[in-house]
Parts: sequence; C-alpha cells; structure tokens
Amino acid sequence: MPASPIERVRNFSIIAHIDHGKSTLADRLLERTGTVSARDMTEQLLDTMELERERGITIKAQAVRLNHVAEDGLGYQLNLIDTPGHVDFAYEVSRALAACEGAILVVDASQGIEAQTLANVYKALDLGLTLVPVVNKIDLPAAEPARVVEEIERVLGLPAAQTLLASARTGDGIDQVLEQVVRRIPAPTGDRAAPLQALIFDSKYDAYRGVIIYVRLMAGRIAAGTQIRMMAGGATFTVDEVGFFRPQMTEVDELAAGEVGYLIASIRDVRDAKVGDTVTTVERPAMSALPGYRQVTPMVWAGVYPVEGDAYADLREALGRLQLNDAALTYEPETSVALGFGYRCGFLGLLHLDIVQERLEREFGLDLITTAPSVAYRVTTQAGEELWVDNPAQLPDAGQIAAIAEPRVEAELLTPREALGQVMELCQERRGEMLHLEYQAGERALLRYDLPLGEIISDFYDQLKSRSRGYASLDYQLRSYRPAELVKLDVLVAGSRVDALSSIIHRGRAATQGRRLVERLRELIPRQLFEVPIQAAVGGRIIARETVPALRKDVLAKCYGGDITRKRKLLEKQREGKKRMKRVGNVEIPQEAFMAVLRLEQP
Amino acid sequence: MTPAGPAGPRALYLHVPFCERLCPYCDFAVHVGGAALHRRYVDAVRSELETVAAAVADRRPLTSVFVGGGTPSRLPAPLLQRLLEAVGSALGIAGGAEVTLEANPSDVVPAAAAAWLAAGVTRVSLGVQSLDDDVLRQLGRAHDAAAALGAIRVLREAGLRHLSCDLIYAIPGRPAASFAAGLEQLLEFHPEHLSCYELTVEPGTRLHRQVARGLVRPLAPAAALAQHWGAVDRLQRAGYDHYEVSNFARPGERCRHNLVYWRGGLYWGIGAGAHGHLPVPLARRLGLEVPAGTASVRLWNHRATPRYLGQVERDGHGRAGWEGVRRDQRRLERWLLGLRRPEGVRLATARDRAEARALAVAALVTVVGGRVRVTRRGAELLDQVALRLAG
Repeated sequence: MPASPIERVRNFSIIAHIDHGKSTLADRLLERTGTVSARDMTEQLLDTMELERERGITIKAQAVRLNHVAEDGLGYQLNLIDTPGHVDFAYEVSRALAACEGAILVVDASQGIEAQTLANVYKALDLGLTLVPVVNKIDLPAAEPARVVEEIERVLGLPAAQTLLASARTGDGIDQVLEQVVRRIPAPTGDRAAPLQALIFDSKYDAYRGVIIYVRLMAGRIAAGTQIRMMAGGATFTVDEVGFFRPQMTEVDELAAGEVGYLIASIRDVRDAKVGDTVTTVERPAMSALPGYRQVTPMVWAGVYPVEGDAYADLREALGRLQLNDAALTYEPETSVALGFGYRCGFLGLLHLDIVQERLEREFGLDLITTAPSVAYRVTTQAGEELWVDNPAQLPDAGQIAAIAEPRVEAELLTPREALGQVMELCQERRGEMLHLEYQAGERALLRYDLPLGEIISDFYDQLKSRSRGYASLDYQLRSYRPAELVKLDVLVAGSRVDALSSIIHRGRAATQGRRLVERLRELIPRQLFEVPIQAAVGGRIIARETVPALRKDVLAKCYGGDITRKRKLLEKQREGKKRMKRVGNVEIPQEAFMAVLRLEQP
Repeated sequence: MTPAGPAGPRALYLHVPFCERLCPYCDFAVHVGGAALHRRYVDAVRSELETVAAAVADRRPLTSVFVGGGTPSRLPAPLLQRLLEAVGSALGIAGGAEVTLEANPSDVVPAAAAAWLAAGVTRVSLGVQSLDDDVLRQLGRAHDAAAALGAIRVLREAGLRHLSCDLIYAIPGRPAASFAAGLEQLLEFHPEHLSCYELTVEPGTRLHRQVARGLVRPLAPAAALAQHWGAVDRLQRAGYDHYEVSNFARPGERCRHNLVYWRGGLYWGIGAGAHGHLPVPLARRLGLEVPAGTASVRLWNHRATPRYLGQVERDGHGRAGWEGVRRDQRRLERWLLGLRRPEGVRLATARDRAEARALAVAALVTVVGGRVRVTRRGAELLDQVALRLAG
C-alpha cells in the first residue's frame, strides 16, 4: 500500500479530563469509520493494558489509523493519537501532541472544564494545534451544554459557533465530529523527498518483535531495510517492518512525511528508542533533530523491597522486564538495615509508582513493601561538596550539612469559588507561595502556586479533593530548586532506628509531623509479645513517643474434643497475616506502616 | 494370618450429642431432646464402628475410649452398655484401658452409676462447672451446687476410682472469689483430676450474640489470667500436677486419652461431629485420595445428628470432610499442642533456633536440655509463641 497524498492526512488527538468520555468517543470513531466492527468492539478498545482498562486511565499512548470518506467524497487517512491522561505522564502527552496538527477537545456537558484539560489545552495551543471542541454526554440529565459551550468560549476563546455537541454513548453528533476533523484540522506539511525526520512519540516492548516504535514522520520516507539512527540516543538499527495500527498492526511498504505509524527494527530495549527522540537515516541523515527532546527523569523515588528476602532475584528480573516497556522507570540496588536488599526506584509521580507496584505484584506475583516516596534533595556539605539525596536514610548528619535545596513546582489549581479559601489554606499549610489568582466563568477560580514538590507527593491531592468536595483539580511542573529549612525525621521502633521509616520534612512542621507519625504507627503496628515503644527523633533528639502495649493474653483455654484442625487453622490464618508484615528486629511491621508518613492529615 | 491392612489408632473418641437443653456458651455438636433417636443413634455408631474396623488389619485393642458429648450420661444405661459392647466387638478394648464417660450431675443416680461401671466405664468426667448457684443459672445449667456434690458422693459410693471434674472460670460479672471458693469446696472431695476452663466466647453461640449486642461483657484478659494462675497455684499446693494449660491431675491420674490429642497422636472419631486423626495408609484404605507428602489425615463427621444418621445408614460412615496434614502444618500442631504441656517441645524442631533464643531472652520460654517450655508469661501468649517457633 503506497503512502496517502499528504493533503489527505489528518493527525489529531483527543484531549479530555479523566471520565469526560475520551475513550468512548475514540471507540465510536473507530466504529463509525468501519475500522472496527461494532461486533468486535470491546469497550474502550484503545486502552490495551489490563490495568488501564480496570482503572479507566490511559498509561501508554496509542495510535490508530481510520479511513474515512468525507462529505467531499474523498478518502482521508485519519490518525488518532491517544494521549495519557495523568499529570505523571505530562511529557508523553506533549510528544503525542507534537505528532498532531489538531486535537478534539472533549468537555463533559455537566462538569465543564477541569484543570487537567486546561493544562493540555495550553500545551496544544503552544504547539500550534487546531482545536475542535466537543461537548460530550449531552444525553445525560445533568447536562448543561449551553453553559459549557459558553464557558469554552470565555475561558479558552474558542468561538461558541464552532463547538460541537455530541454523545459518544449514543453516537449522536459523531459524524459531525469526523467531518470537522477533516475540514478544520490542517493537513500536515513536510517534504517527502527530504532526509528522514521521524518523531518517536511512544514505544512499547513486545516479547516476540522487540521494541515497537510509534512515529510521526515530519520529513522523508521510511521502509523496511532502511538503516536508521536515533539522533539523541545515537544507536543505529535496520528497519524490519513499517506499518500502522487499525488497531491491529498492519504492515505497509513505506511511511512518508505526514503519516503516523510504527516501525520495528530488532531493538531489544525501549531505552534505545526514547520518546521525543528523532529517527533519521544513516545514509542521508537530517541536519538537525526535531525540537523538544527531553530526557525523562523521575520526580519521586521509593525503596521497593520483597517481603521475603529470597524473592530479591525475582524482583530484579521483574523490574528489568517492566523497564523494557517503561523508559521512565529507573532502579538501582539499595540496602536497608530494616528491609534488607531491594531497589531504589525512580518514578514520574505517585500514580506511576502505584502502577509499577501493582504490576510487580499482579504480573510477577511478588509481595512487596514500598517505602514512602521521597523527592531528590540537593545537599551542600560543610566541605562544599554537592550531593543528591533521594533516600532520607542517606541524608548526612545535620552537622555536616551546609544547606539543603528542595525541588519546587509551579502548580495550577482550578477550584470552585466556594472552596477557594480551603484550597488556598491547604497550599499555605504546604508552604506554597501564590503566584496568580484569576476568577473564571462558572464560579471558578484558577490559582497558580509555587509549591515544594515534596509537599505535593504526600496526601496533597487527596486533601485537595476532600476540601473541594472532589471538584478542584491539579496540574504541575517542576520549576526550581530552593534552599529550605529541612530536617530528617527518624523513627525508632523498640529503640532502634528504622531507616525505611525516615523522612525529610520542614523544620517548622517537625514537631507536629513527628507526633502524628508515631500516633499513626501506634495504630498500624499490631500488639506483639513485647511492649513496643515508637519514637520520632530529629537530629538524635526525641520529639514524640507512643507505645504499642504488649498483647495481654493469647491462649486457647480449651483444647480438647479432638478438633485440632480448627485450632491450627486459627493460627494459620494469623500466620498468613504475618506474611504481609516485615520483621524488623523483634517487631512485626505491616506494609502500610512504611507509607504512614504520607497519610498524616486527619481525613 | 497376615494383616490385611494398616494398623489403627488405639484411642477412640465417641460422641453422644443428646442434651436436655442448649447451654449458651457451648459450641459442640449437640441435639436437644431426641430421646426417640437414642436407639437409632446407637445403631448408627455400631455401623460406623464396623465400617472402620473392616479397614484395620491387626486388631490391637484400644487403650483409651472417651465417650463425650453432648451429654452421654443421658443415654439410658442399657443403651450405653450396647454402645460400649459395640466398641469392644468392633475394635476391642484392652484390659486396663481408660474408659471415660462425660456425665451431667443431674443424670448421676446410684443405679445409673452402678450400670456404667458394670458396662466398663473406669473414669467419669463430671460437668460440675461451678459450685455457685447463680453462676450455674447464668451458664444455663440444669443442676445446682448441691446436685453436683451429691453426684460426686453417688459416684464414689458406686466405687468410681477415677473422677474428673470440670470447672469454668472467668464468668462475666462474677467475682474471682466465686470460682476460688468452688475450687476449695471441690478439693474436699479429692477428685483425681480437674479441668479448669476459661469461659470462651465461641462464634455461633448465644453467648457470642449477647457479647456482640453488648449485653454481656467478657472479663478483662488480666482478670481471667488472675483466676487461672490462682487455680494453678492452689492446685499445685494441693499436690496436683499441672500437666496441660487447663488440666490438673494427682500422680498417675493424667487423662491418657486427652494426652493422645496433645501429643499429636492418632485416634478414631465416631459419632456426630466427632473428629478423628488417622495415619495415611488407613485413610486411603477408607477410600480417601490422600496426596503424597501428607503426614497424616484429620477427618470429621457431620455435626447435625439427623444428617449424620442419614448418611451412616446409607453409606456406613458419617464423614463430612477431611484434610491431609502437611509436614509444615504438622510442625505447627506440634508446637501449638506441645507448648501446652510442661514437657514442652524439642528445640531441634523449631524453624529457627535464634527465635527460641530471642524468646528466652524475653523470658517467654526456657530452653533447658534441648527442650523449649513456656514460662508463665509465655503461657499467657502461648499461641503467639507457638507461631513464632513453628514459623
């Protein structure tokens, strides 16, 4: 199959807040263009990972080609590029958008615009994309399409007349959406005779085929047999196959400028095909790489340990296999006095951490303990040395530290006006500095804050949701490092410091945090054979103490009648419970305790 | 003659479920009333005994029989006699065997006592429970203190030489003195054996529901333990051997049958709701598909009497379920049961000896002569200690 004429190609993605109906709309487009028959339609086809489907979120981008005959009677190649929907994956979103000329903006007819949507809209506008706004779910009783259309015009400056009304659920308005994609989104431009420039906007590892690279060709052509080079990564490969997704992989002779598809080149590691990199040919390389490539770096780190020490090798193997498909995941060996051998893993954010932990447990059958995540601090020692500390246990003694700088983000918060005070209070408590406040249509306010990243990765998001009755939303980007009065909060269990429970916190909050932490731990650590004192300490000084009293009595009085099975089973059940705990010295500590520092606020 | 099959256990538990009323704390298999079922029940037991006897090759006779309940003393004496005859003819009872009958004080009358002894009963376990009439009412018992003491006199006059009395302590809302006084009074009758059980709240009982609804508040653990150790001290002073958490015996009077349970030994379980513990070859011979790597088999009968009867009459056995005990489970049982006795458990069988040392440092166990024994504090937390040692 030859490449389509470039003027009849449209590359677009869908921008939407979680639950606003992005996946359903995508499904409907696939169905309406006959790409997938209604019969083969499994709900939300584009979310392929089991986890994605369960959680209803998109983790990896997908790209699917739709062939559509428009009202002008001509056939068009529509490439729908699906984008991840969570703040942890913001960079992947920006690369997927960079592969498009336009985007459908989906807004829920009853919810209106959300912060997450807004962030992606700005990203799309920055990249010069044409937006096709669609107010979705107009069939629902709570729908207020007129209000939302007006809001889109006022907040985003998109003319109300251009906003389409649709219901992805019933299929209403879908034809208009397709027609407007063809009419309003510009065709790509790009010289098909020029040297190859292909933007990698995603990649995934397939056990049989190696790495499958998702590309948007900006210039030139690519076919099987082409010798390629990654312009940032430097590695060279020979292309085995090119093609597109419909949504199953469909091989073609070549891909040309303007088109979207995949290429396979016997690549064994996704880190050789990083998102944002440019693919060119060895023979006739492009003069320059496409703009915007950025090494994706983790934002938060956490220790991941097997509950049973002998599962260490399995954990290493599992992390290696996950990394094949997740270039943003980093890991290196780490030893904890309390938890033994494990790995320090770097993640894009808490959701990413959550997903990785869940995949490790579910897909690899591992029992894990994850320590509370930490950000990376820049520590200057008295000797003038600079070091990065992403594990609180490794923070040097206070005496050796000249300064600690913490990462700060610029956060955008969109909140209903009635919760504005509460949200500002939360940001204030978390040492935020307000940069901007703007009242918007629909009784809403947009806040911009400079906040320490370390304060956001704890329960900030939960608190934000609970203080705004679920309506406020958040987006953030790393901005700077700034010195702060930070100290290490240590926890002593039964007199010994448990390194995996240490955290780095602001000095002003140490007393409160320390007290709450030991209270929380007292609730989480079950009674044992011995009394267990729990202490919080800063710089060797005890600032809070609680005690888990010893069990008073645990003995079956009656053990006759021959029913030993039942007695044993009672104990076996307890033993199962203990397996989910980590023995630290003489004390059994449940998994949740290691995350306790994250959940110190009263709900 | 060469044996046609594997050897059988030498202990038998025989359950008789009939009770006059349902005690609010009891979770054993019981059937209230049911006099019309007595004869049918004895026939069913006989049939079950014949089935198992057919699976055994060598007829090494039983050295202990325990007839428990329910209230086996409610069976008319001739039926009890038939029951024991059935045991004798199916499995054989060795000379000098311990044959225990559980009895309620209200059933103990001279004629019955004489008939029991004549039928081969050597030991009676008498459900005294308390000598405080208020407590007996609270426990839903049919007898009063006078009846309990009268029953002891009747049994002694009939010539019973091995008497055991059950007492219950930690009664909600009752002072410790009530239990201590009862114990004192009982000691005047010099029972050969005493079992002192803490009142436990078992799921599915009326007591459990009362506690759940807040109508009854169980005694605080410390108060229950104080009553327990009070009894231990008193009985040891009186020359009793504290040979299991809740059991006390004069020299030579330990209950041979219950020791089989506590040593992890093998026994038959016959009758409604009865549990048995069999060697693997014997279980296979009974038709169970026991997987390889199984240490032994525990099996149990239907608890509901009508269901038990129906199945035995149809299939010749009352089995409701069974489980193969794996070696690691066997180890847990060994520790769970072994630590309940003063002999303790061999250190060599602990999963991790360092664990035993740590517990010794914390004064929860002692390790002497290669055996691990619980201290008093360790006895209070015995199940947790067993878990740690069995791993």
